[in-house]
Amino acid sequence: MKNLLPLILPLTALAACQAKEDTASDTDKSEVAFASTYAPQASPDMLLKNAKIIDGVSNEIREGDILISEGRISYVGSGSIPEGIKQIDVDGRFVTPGIIDIHSHLGNYPSPGVQANGDGNEVTSPITSEVFAEHGVWPQDPGFDEALQGGVTTLHILPGSANLFGGRGVTLRNMPSHTVQGMKFPNAPYTLKMACGENPKRVYGSKGGPGSRMGNVAGYRKNWIKAAAYKVKRDKGGDYDRDLQLETLADVLDGKILVQMHCYRADEMIQILDIAKEFDYKVTTFHHAVEAYKIGPELAASDTCAAMWADWGAFKMESFDYINENVPFVHAAGACAMIHSDDPNNVQRLNQEVAKTWADGNRAGLNISKAEAWKWLSTNPAKALGILEETGTLEEGKRADIVIWDGDPFSTYGRPSTVMLDGAILFDRKTGLKPMSDFRLGYSDLSGDLK
Amino acid sequence: MRALLITSALVFVAPSAFAQTLFLDNATVVDANGAQSQMDIILKDGNIRQRGAEIPAPAGADTVTGAWVTPGLFASMSSLGLTDIGSTGPGNDVSSETSKTNVSERAVDSFNPRSIHIPNVRQSGVTHALVAPRSGGNSIFAGTGAIVSLTGEFDSVLKSDAFVMVDLGETGTIRAGGSRAAAMAQLRAAIYDADGFFKRYANDPTGGDVLSRQDALAFNRATRGDIPMVVRVNRAADIMRLIDIKQTSKSLDIIIVGAAEAWEVADALAKNNIRVIIDPLENLPSAFESVGARLDNVAFLEKAGVDYAIANLSSLGVTKPAALAQHAGNAVVHGLTWSQAFSAISSTPSSWFGVDDSTTVVWDGDPLEITSASISMSIDGESQAMTSRQKALRDRYNPTNPDKRQLKYR
Repeated sequence: MKNLLPLILPLTALAACQAKEDTASDTDKSEVAFASTYAPQASPDMLLKNAKIIDGVSNEIREGDILISEGRISYVGSGSIPEGIKQIDVDGRFVTPGIIDIHSHLGNYPSPGVQANGDGNEVTSPITSEVFAEHGVWPQDPGFDEALQGGVTTLHILPGSANLFGGRGVTLRNMPSHTVQGMKFPNAPYTLKMACGENPKRVYGSKGGPGSRMGNVAGYRKNWIKAAAYKVKRDKGGDYDRDLQLETLADVLDGKILVQMHCYRADEMIQILDIAKEFDYKVTTFHHAVEAYKIGPELAASDTCAAMWADWGAFKMESFDYINENVPFVHAAGACAMIHSDDPNNVQRLNQEVAKTWADGNRAGLNISKAEAWKWLSTNPAKALGILEETGTLEEGKRADIVIWDGDPFSTYGRPSTVMLDGAILFDRKTGLKPMSDFRLGYSDLSGDLK
Repeated sequence: MRALLITSALVFVAPSAFAQTLFLDNATVVDANGAQSQMDIILKDGNIRQRGAEIPAPAGADTVTGAWVTPGLFASMSSLGLTDIGSTGPGNDVSSETSKTNVSERAVDSFNPRSIHIPNVRQSGVTHALVAPRSGGNSIFAGTGAIVSLTGEFDSVLKSDAFVMVDLGETGTIRAGGSRAAAMAQLRAAIYDADGFFKRYANDPTGGDVLSRQDALAFNRATRGDIPMVVRVNRAADIMRLIDIKQTSKSLDIIIVGAAEAWEVADALAKNNIRVIIDPLENLPSAFESVGARLDNVAFLEKAGVDYAIANLSSLGVTKPAALAQHAGNAVVHGLTWSQAFSAISSTPSSWFGVDDSTTVVWDGDPLEITSASISMSIDGESQAMTSRQKALRDRYNPTNPDKRQLKYR
């Protein structure tokens, strides 16, 4: 097996990708299309004082200050305060990294859930690796604004799971914007959505296949063979016909695109890891992974992450073996575990989902600290999206994506009071600062306040 | 983290509270109205044997500190016992698409007390549930629902014909053929059929306008007001139209479910004695019928004096009631008092359906706190097993399990 794709693309490599834009040959055009226009909101440098810090790195909750300079974290701890800097006394409250939801359909299955806006899945062929989730994202989905109030600063929007190869996923900053380019996480790698199990065979069983898990596997392998041939052609250089479908797959083989795979059953995930070995690519994350707790050691050994719910299950056969301790059990096996929502409502309370599964894990005999369990909310999703060098923890040099909490984030009664992206406050409960999508306008005039 | 001072034997082997004496040191006891008090309690086989300010711990008892003792939770909307998995096919009796009957389809005939999800959900402190069918085909009538306890026993159905379930709003519109007007016309005609049952069908089995004779007979109980008519509806305007029907057919006892925009018409609901089952986490304009959804919806109902219960109405299937306490906890965050929120998942819906089973649930902390869990339960004096298929899977695959035999032999 060849060297695995580093989960974190070195920034230098990303910079190199950008540099290529200047000499746009035919092949390089794919890298300039739909470029991010994301820009942080202006914000003064500031010091968050007297914080109870969960930094997403260490296993302890620390007391201290966080200095934000030019939208980045410039130190965490306690030190001398620069002259004239704005200070916010957090008064001993919890301060955490912004939450990252690695499995969201905000924007591509938006509210209101009318068919006209249901652009999350190209259900026309089992192989649609040519489509991009971002082309189906409606930036006016009111769900983005609500997720922000739940402390979510970064989201990964995926195509749906009807297809073996569903298309490219996109990582978004949860920045209020009227274009998707304005939300795109600068330099974040693309991802490829793939799906195991019931969905592809159910959807395509009567439309030419696959009609079984056998057909699913044959479909993956046939297309990896094509992709490998395409890659050989592309690597040679010179003239060749661009193929959007195979371009995505060849980019996976080149390690530029991270595979995010919908897969529930333990036995099936192991089959997929075998296919990845056969074709020399990496599965970065299994999504839903309801049976991941059965194969924790195998996930750890192959450096494969699992993104899971706290307690969802029994809504289909492949989710029948759900347990409430899935996330902590996978974590205890030494694998990269994380929470995900796949839901516009749950994304608003991912901290509660983690608190629930964390408590159940400890009740089952584990001994996981809150500071360690926090990694399921930001650190591990950042790693699995290839953006850990930029966000996911409170460390020097990273984007100041920060949540200040009212109360304990590991409690039903604790919720975000202030949410920052790049050091700019985008939500503040006390002042009432919050974004509102175009869709809410007019309707909101009908709402009264509770007197 | 909060200390869980339960003996390790309880944690891992999980023998439940069977044949076990628990000493609850300085427990928080919640009464039927949601009021809290502190006391020591001796619990045997899930039932309270002694309570008082300072009781000495009995010999051989497991001591639990920080415990809460409450009545059991009531899931005021569920499909428990109607389905094994969410997908369609045999094993899912939640709705019928092509049947020729509607109101007379009784959830009790589909209900399986042995469903694996009943013990799964019971672990979350839920002792009772409303079991409701969903509409299918071209009728707004889903059928007749039941009230059950979660003992898993064959005698666990407390009321087999507890209410008639109706879908209005966007779902009802689809059922009725494409418009709200069609759905309301179907409802009015059905009320007329059922009200005039003895006259209309006496000599002619096809005497009704929209209901067959057996469906009209089944609906007659609701139109007489003997059992409630439970209606799924969200838009404020739709709720007002339903209130209009109530003003014409005064004997109808209406409970609305969903009610995303109920806050807009809270006073009218209170005035017309219409009760509400609400999900306090619904805040997205997930459809045009719920563009006014907001997190403090339930607080408006409380203020207006509406009688309401809290449920988990999210899109997920049969296991939804497991998140009941989490929903009530969030209602506290959004404007209810603790006791109001707790009553809305226990005594309020129990009283609606006349459930008077005595229930005792012991929790290792505040039941509305997401990190708490139930550790003991009794229903009508019977200790309930705190075991489930979920917990059996958990124990088999627990990384701290000292049993190193091959998994299938554990």
